[in-house]
Amino acid sequence: MTDTAVIVLTAALTGTACALLGPFLVLRRVALLGDAVSHAVLPGIVLVWLVAQTRAPLAVVAGAALFAVVCVLAIDALRATGLVPPDAAIGLVFPALFSLGVLGVTRYADGIHLDLDSTIYGEIAFVPFATVTVAGVPLARATVVLAVVVAVNLALVGLLWKELKATTFDPEFSRTVGLRPVLLSRLLLLAVAVTAVSAFEAVGAILVVTLLIVPAATAYLLTDRLAVMVAVAVAVSWVGAVAGNALATATDSAISGAMGLACTACFVLALLAAPRHGLVVRWIRRGRRRRPAAAA
Amino acid sequence: MGPLIDAIPLPYTDAVVVLGAAVLGLTCGVLGAFAVLRGRSLVGDAVAHAALPGVCVAFLLGGTKDVPLLLVGAGVAGVLGAVVMLAIERNTRIPADSAIGLVLSAFFSLGVVLLTYIAGSGDADQAGLESYLFGQAAGLLESDVAVMAAISAVSLAAVALTVRAMRVVLFDPRFGGSIGLPVRALEITSTVMLVIAVVIGVRMVGAILMVAMLIAPTVTARQLTDRLVPLLALAGVVGAAVGVAGAVGSTAAGLPTGPVIVLLALGIVLAAVLLAPRRGVLWRAGALLHRRRLAACDAALLAWHRDGELPARSVRALARRGWAEPGPAGPRPTAAGRAAIQEVLERRALWSAWLEHGTRLDLDDPREPGPHDLAAVLGPHRVSELRELAATNGAPR
Repeated sequence: MTDTAVIVLTAALTGTACALLGPFLVLRRVALLGDAVSHAVLPGIVLVWLVAQTRAPLAVVAGAALFAVVCVLAIDALRATGLVPPDAAIGLVFPALFSLGVLGVTRYADGIHLDLDSTIYGEIAFVPFATVTVAGVPLARATVVLAVVVAVNLALVGLLWKELKATTFDPEFSRTVGLRPVLLSRLLLLAVAVTAVSAFEAVGAILVVTLLIVPAATAYLLTDRLAVMVAVAVAVSWVGAVAGNALATATDSAISGAMGLACTACFVLALLAAPRHGLVVRWIRRGRRRRPAAAA
Repeated sequence: MGPLIDAIPLPYTDAVVVLGAAVLGLTCGVLGAFAVLRGRSLVGDAVAHAALPGVCVAFLLGGTKDVPLLLVGAGVAGVLGAVVMLAIERNTRIPADSAIGLVLSAFFSLGVVLLTYIAGSGDADQAGLESYLFGQAAGLLESDVAVMAAISAVSLAAVALTVRAMRVVLFDPRFGGSIGLPVRALEITSTVMLVIAVVIGVRMVGAILMVAMLIAPTVTARQLTDRLVPLLALAGVVGAAVGVAGAVGSTAAGLPTGPVIVLLALGIVLAAVLLAPRRGVLWRAGALLHRRRLAACDAALLAWHRDGELPARSVRALARRGWAEPGPAGPRPTAAGRAAIQEVLERRALWSAWLEHGTRLDLDDPREPGPHDLAAVLGPHRVSELRELAATNGAPR
């Protein structure tokens, strides 16, 4: 496989993993969870440095994952009091965890270059260079990791499809029929935390945040059916990966940024031209409503 | 600013930081309320990220890292991002938080692409452009604080003048539109004020602190009041207090200011969420426990009266209240205990009477009373009326 193919494949796998979960986040009004997790992992990295004096990827990812889980569970707990709206809960927890990390860095790791960019946020252009050998075939490490994450997310969403669907749209109803909305919400958030942390290391934070929100929001404009929404979100993320890579090559710019812009372009297209919820259709409809009124 | 800074009993640089934190906390507390109450808590996050492409474009146009120029670029991009966010939210089915996420992703992606473009242009002056967004409170200048104070004064005055209209737009935009309020203009005004505060604040203290400072004061104040104007005032006070306490504490402990303020703010929020009178988690749990105990005592007293025998598991609870004392043949009621039994019986009789004949009472208070506060809600006059109705079994007097 060429390096370009590896990069596109890795981006598409990241997109798939994110787009499987993104629609649920958008529908549950916690779309910015990815952004929250991307900041909240800092104390984990500091902790790993304090305990083991290492910046090895595996240890760092484990530490980051620990605090990603702490972050999503804290958000869920704060939200579950019913006193704090979900978006405010996100905006309270992640700055606090990030601040904890910054304090840790200044207090214990001052002078060591320990910041998010260099330890956990990968650069997708470097994906082909770190390889592992699986069954005698050298493969890019990030690609393998993300393929596993995709499989896990697929299993989660596939096995718990109707439970996730019911708890997303009607938590009260799902409680009365014996589902566990709280448990399912935590499971979903844990999957987001794990996905985000494994993807940060490969492709960088901003692309993960983008892939969790933009494809899902695009799909939300195009369909009213959850299954179709997830499928469209996955498709949009693939289009974003391929087109973004082409854009980056053509303009010689950052791949992750270009992929984000390609996904955004898909959203703008859907925003304008979506068959039922698009702006053009809305304008036409509004014009039609006005005409008889004007004639009368 | 000078006399104010001199009045603070701290070294000059620390006094500037404390004053800056107070002004920023006050402004963020008040303006953040409008974002939090509309479900746009994370708008500060989006605006802070949206500023990056603005900074890049300003640099490309100006060719230098001239701070006012970059600030204008950041401000324009921030306002643009906020307007796009409002437009998406208003014209599509996309929820507010997803609209915020879309703006954040799109603008920051653009910023990343522009950064690589600038880096590729080989301009030596471009280094450190991306770290422009992350400020340091310790590097705060008196002029920064003065600018912030001016913006703060203008936006607080605007809030004070429009608070009645804002209240309608905040809680019922459709009604606001129907009575002829310029809903869209008011929303854009409040958002633009917020954006300007965020852009200045981000320069001073960094994006993450801004996110927390916009949210924490309002969430705290919301636990303590249900009314908008007290909430705004309280949020401003909480913001300023947290800012000052964090700034003073961090300089005393030799820690970075921003993170200390954020952690302090979270601590206050948690305290409010747990302990706030009537709404707090612990308060509610305590009230529930109290009600359960009362109900258990009532049940025990009734059982005692009915069976002539006190259930064994309730002996201690009643003894603690002084209603039961040990006697030769098991526990027996004290004088107070007999009064308590009488009181429960009367309360139940009154409740039965209310259920049966309550509709005949002519009440001026539309509230539906509960079994525990019935007598107090009705008042002595209506209670005797109800008793009479029950005694005559509803026959007209």
